[in-house]
Amino acid sequence: MHDEYIKLHYDVLSGDYIRGGEASSSLKKALMQLGINNSVIRRACVGCYEAEMNIVIHSLGGEIEAVIYKDKIEITAKDRGPGIENINLAMQEGYSTASEEAREMGFGGGMGLPNMKRSSNNFYIESVLGEYTLIKMIINID
Amino acid sequence: MKDIFHSVKLIEENCKGCTKCMINCPVEAVRVKNSKAVIYTDRCIDCGECIRVCPYNAHVAEKDETFNIENFKVKIAIPSVTLYTQFGDYINPVIINEAVKSLGFDEVYDITYACDIVSEITRKEISKVPKPAISPFCPSIVRLINESYPELMEHVVKVLTPIEVAAYLIRDKYRKLGYNDEEVGVIFLTPCVGWITKIKNTQLDSKSQINGSIAISDVYSKIIKFINKNNKNIDANESASMSCTGLRWATTGGQSFSMHIKEHIEVDGVKNVIRVLDDIEKGKFDDVDFIEAHACTGGCLGGILLVDNPFNAKRIIKKYCVQLNFTNRFNRINEKYQKDFLSDVYTKASKGLRLADDFESAVKKMKYMNEIINLLPGIDCGQCGSPSCKAFAEDVVRGFSTLDECIMLKKGEK
Repeated sequence: MHDEYIKLHYDVLSGDYIRGGEASSSLKKALMQLGINNSVIRRACVGCYEAEMNIVIHSLGGEIEAVIYKDKIEITAKDRGPGIENINLAMQEGYSTASEEAREMGFGGGMGLPNMKRSSNNFYIESVLGEYTLIKMIINID
Repeated sequence: MKDIFHSVKLIEENCKGCTKCMINCPVEAVRVKNSKAVIYTDRCIDCGECIRVCPYNAHVAEKDETFNIENFKVKIAIPSVTLYTQFGDYINPVIINEAVKSLGFDEVYDITYACDIVSEITRKEISKVPKPAISPFCPSIVRLINESYPELMEHVVKVLTPIEVAAYLIRDKYRKLGYNDEEVGVIFLTPCVGWITKIKNTQLDSKSQINGSIAISDVYSKIIKFINKNNKNIDANESASMSCTGLRWATTGGQSFSMHIKEHIEVDGVKNVIRVLDDIEKGKFDDVDFIEAHACTGGCLGGILLVDNPFNAKRIIKKYCVQLNFTNRFNRINEKYQKDFLSDVYTKASKGLRLADDFESAVKKMKYMNEIINLLPGIDCGQCGSPSCKAFAEDVVRGFSTLDECIMLKKGEK
């Protein structure tokens, strides 16, 4: 069923606050070109942007892959970096481990992971301390 | 392509095919084909940027010729607030209104009154849309959102613009005086092409009660001649009850000021507005109450159909505020108005960016498009007649262009 799909790939650099957000912008354009409905585009955009900024803020760099099928969008974000010590804690609204620098720029509100979860129909996260964090979001298309 | 009316027209014999409009169009709606500019009507938002940048006066504003003022028994003009800023100094609004009357109108409506009503209603309506609320008053921006950010349409505040509120109140008044609607002609003196289009099309809003529009630049010389002739005869004590909060609607930030909104972003110029909309889309600014966005730099004062420098016009507004120092206050707006002044602005399914009607064909086209992008040099030279290599690749898969139009690819083949 799923042989018709579009795969998009973006490298995300650590600390690149200026360009961070490009993956989500280009994903949005692709979704519009494919005729995906508006509310799905919005959720995919927010989810992808939060994942992207998490890589920028917390990690040593990583990548985002978005696969668009007829009935769903799968966004996978994988980074190299410190990992998350306590995932349950990190999933709480308002909890953040962002650096002073990131907070000064208005990030680190502790809403990243909760927003990603809220934007997706299926949310999966795994992390190995000192190695990586992997996030997978599935957004269903009606 | 659907045939949507646009007020931006091309005079082909003037066009040299120079690509200036194509490169500057903020929504990539212009191409150059056979050395002539072509506007993709389903993408154009009528911002007028191509008119502004064209060195050969090939892009011009199309006049609204759908109405004949002589056909109406009563003729009413609604001048845009910007009109009052165009004469280099504070001029008693009474004389400006007389000048407009001399063009053949029976009444000149003070739009600042409608601005104040709309400020009051908008203030209440803002909380009914998701944060941040987006200002619905610039027609080009509403079109931009509808075409390129349809998922943000729910953020657009559902209130009629002061121009439409003014028309409503005028019609109400003349109905009570015993006139039929067909006998009453309501004409807007417009500072921009966006409004010409909006009034003619009423694409996104079905409630328009305005019969037509006239470009301020088209009547400017008559108005200024009248003012110069009659300005000395006017009794200085006779003054119009224009409001300064209403006048400030002409500038970027004027709406937010009149509505007393603290947490707001004011932004002008389509490219800047796009940056703000991009961020709203990513979930930013949900702590901001109001986004006041204007297509033209300087707000309505930057409209392409005005004559004076917008920054000078802004100086003149301040002079008016000192002279008039008046605001219409509404303790309570009657319930009927409160309801009737809400707009039914809705998302009109747009095909603008869609590659194909069904998902499978769109995927095929996107794959082909990505292959083409990899082939192209990526230098965005514009020689193919598309504004960038990416836009060219899209044009090829849409069937608007052919690969051999890329001169760099051709060179490589030799």
